[in-house]
Amino acid sequence: MNVSTGSNSGHILNTDAVVTLNDVKVHYPVKEGALQRVTGHVKAVDGVDLSIARGKTLGLVGESGCGKTTLGRVIAALVAPTGGDIWMDLSAQQQLDVNRLRDLSESEMSTTDRDLWKQLTLNNRLGSMSKEKQRQFRRNCQVVFQDAFSSLNPRQLVRDIVGRPLRVHEQLSGEELDRRVIELLEKVGLGAEHLLRFPHQFSGGQRQRISIARALALNPEFVILDEPTSALDVSVQAQILNLLVELQAEMGLTYLFITHDLGVVQHMADDIAVMYLGQIVEYGPTDQVFDNPLHPYSRVLRDSNPTLEGERNRDWELSGTVPNPIDPPHGCRLHPRCPVAAAACGWSVSDALSRTEENSPVLFETIKTIERVDDFNAQVAFDNEDGARAFVDQLTNSSMNNAMPIPPTVSGSSVTLAFNEVKDASLEQIQKDRWSSCIRSQENGLLPELVKTPQVNEKEGQ
Amino acid sequence: MSQDWLLKVEDLSVRFQSRGGDAHAVEGVNFEIQPGETLALVGETGCGKSVTARSILRLVPEPPGKYVAGSIKLNVRGKGVVDILSATTKEVMAIRGERISMIFQDPGKALNPALTVGSQLAEVFGQHRLEMILAAAGIDPSKASRAEKRIAKQRASFVQTRIFALTRKKKAETLQKAIDNAVARSLADTGIPNPKKIMKSYPHELSGGMKQRVMIAQALACDPDLLIADEPTTALDVTIQARILELIQDMQKRRGMAVLYITHDLSIVREFADNIAVMYAGHIVETGPAKEVLANPQHPYTSGLLGAIPHRRTPRGELAAIPGSVPQLINPPTQCHFASRCPWAASACKTMAPALHTIQENRKVACFRFDSAEDLLIENAGMPTPAKLAGGN
Repeated sequence: MNVSTGSNSGHILNTDAVVTLNDVKVHYPVKEGALQRVTGHVKAVDGVDLSIARGKTLGLVGESGCGKTTLGRVIAALVAPTGGDIWMDLSAQQQLDVNRLRDLSESEMSTTDRDLWKQLTLNNRLGSMSKEKQRQFRRNCQVVFQDAFSSLNPRQLVRDIVGRPLRVHEQLSGEELDRRVIELLEKVGLGAEHLLRFPHQFSGGQRQRISIARALALNPEFVILDEPTSALDVSVQAQILNLLVELQAEMGLTYLFITHDLGVVQHMADDIAVMYLGQIVEYGPTDQVFDNPLHPYSRVLRDSNPTLEGERNRDWELSGTVPNPIDPPHGCRLHPRCPVAAAACGWSVSDALSRTEENSPVLFETIKTIERVDDFNAQVAFDNEDGARAFVDQLTNSSMNNAMPIPPTVSGSSVTLAFNEVKDASLEQIQKDRWSSCIRSQENGLLPELVKTPQVNEKEGQ
Repeated sequence: MSQDWLLKVEDLSVRFQSRGGDAHAVEGVNFEIQPGETLALVGETGCGKSVTARSILRLVPEPPGKYVAGSIKLNVRGKGVVDILSATTKEVMAIRGERISMIFQDPGKALNPALTVGSQLAEVFGQHRLEMILAAAGIDPSKASRAEKRIAKQRASFVQTRIFALTRKKKAETLQKAIDNAVARSLADTGIPNPKKIMKSYPHELSGGMKQRVMIAQALACDPDLLIADEPTTALDVTIQARILELIQDMQKRRGMAVLYITHDLSIVREFADNIAVMYAGHIVETGPAKEVLANPQHPYTSGLLGAIPHRRTPRGELAAIPGSVPQLINPPTQCHFASRCPWAASACKTMAPALHTIQENRKVACFRFDSAEDLLIENAGMPTPAKLAGGN
């Protein structure tokens, strides 16, 4: 997001990247009314910078609705991004060039740069590269979907399902095709006897094996695994995970492992990217992220996952629910729910109102009008002066207090609110190999300490 | 009363008729639940854990289901023991929701999408707590006229036929208010902020965690003695999962009810359950205190399940997967059902099925390696001896 500085501080650099994302956005329009006018956008993926190292496994974790599946689909070129670029096969030098050039207009570039940019976009950028390259990308990047029940055509035989990519891309048919399909089936632990069966004749684990065989048919370099084991039982999941590891070693695959299961991701991934509300909030080596998270959200995720040993620490908890992705919070997107949110985290008028609605609904109903100057300044009118005073009391007793340069003033029955304007949080490097978008971690270089008292007071005050 | 148990399942067998023959979904299952206890029934898909839970409320559809043998006895406070399987429909209806209630896996599917949350909850009060509503509206329940009862019931039910709307408007309004208050109180109990607003919303307007809270409010509205939670958090995210489980635990402590968890997630069991019963292919293969069983499993299936859970310390690609798959349930052979996947299977395992064997106080395992060879006149050589258990004592 801070690419304009020309530095690579916000970018995750890998020496050799299979796929590199620059500020990728997927916004779905929301249409309302008889005229189907666009009234807003669901920001499913909102400004993601990421690069996936060759031969490694990157784990993408997050809760449902955070955009991880959409991001996977964008990378597989199944969904077109509404903003940003996706690059394939960039070396470290090329990544630096891309970061340097992508914000310049052509007229600002020097002649050599202009040629370089032209070459890069023609050869490596998804969407502008040649037909031939595009076709190659499609072969190289395959997907295994979550639900092996709905991702296999129930009216086709295994031979047709697994053989389809070979027919399309390699024009195989007849005995040659059968031979290749059997080879693939054997690779995933099935055999020639399964060739002429329908998907419904298989168990969940076997179906996922068929899905994997189909994904591997064209010898891809990069496989996107979208929750490949979440529909399976533990004992079968273990079989599939072992198979995936075996195949990776054998074929030198790169994996993007999308999951919500933290145990699976800890076991499988070299690096991990934690997503929340369309953005990546933390990125780093898996073990380090789990031992020493640098974003409150990763910390909460880790702590709320029950384990088979040790006691779970229940101190870190998120309050409330996931905000509406049509109108995400300013600053850090987690701050309205964050246990360590401070003044600088991006409080705005919407936060003040939704906090009131949640904590004291009776007071919220006495609000008469809300006049917004912008997202940070507004006038809220109440039915009576008592309501206005209660509202101000609530604000000044919360962590929002310090975010207001001028304390909220009561005049008659209305309150004037003015918050500090805060830029949206962006992923910044904090330690070696570690990136986090937490504003407070970025200041200290460490995850802020949890101070329990104000939270408790707030809850008791309700 | 001499019995101290709340629920006793004895030798329960449930079969489903199918084209190929009867599927033995549950075979000879025995367990007890004490008042206030948390028992977790654990197993993989198709092991019969959900059928067992549904049998307790007699919710297994007949046909194709069939209760072949056994009994499920419920110890009702002050009324003695009722066998749910042989009770009349009316008796079962009085138990459902009132003594035993259930929350289901997917709150999105279990709630009626066409009704508001408030009216779904009101129905529970109309069915089971008519007296309470009447009393709250200032009418003595013992003296209430038939018309008053009828109005109360109608106000609570979602079928809005308000024939008394004009003649007894005032009475209807006080009753409606009493119902609304009862509903709001039960919602607020589950930690829902702003219950009055939630009451007016439809299930699709709520998040998954909120829906599950509504389900819990509905299940606990009548203060049941036993709550059956069938995979209560599988459809939820990790951060919400922890909060829902803590909520159930909290409610359990406050009301002193027993909870039966049906789950496949062993890490939840360790934290939230007192006792565990591991099921495999319709049989209970191991029971005992949750922490002990998970720390020191004795049945090869239990230890297999634990080894299969991905963990950062297990080297990648070396998860101890249980080879093979679950055996067929239609006309199963008489043998240990785990024998085909067991690393220790001996010839004896293929000829007869092992019974649950007490190996310690509170702990039972169905495996031949705990029977001595002379007793059974079979050969169990080649299995590791149970000496390893010493660590558990």
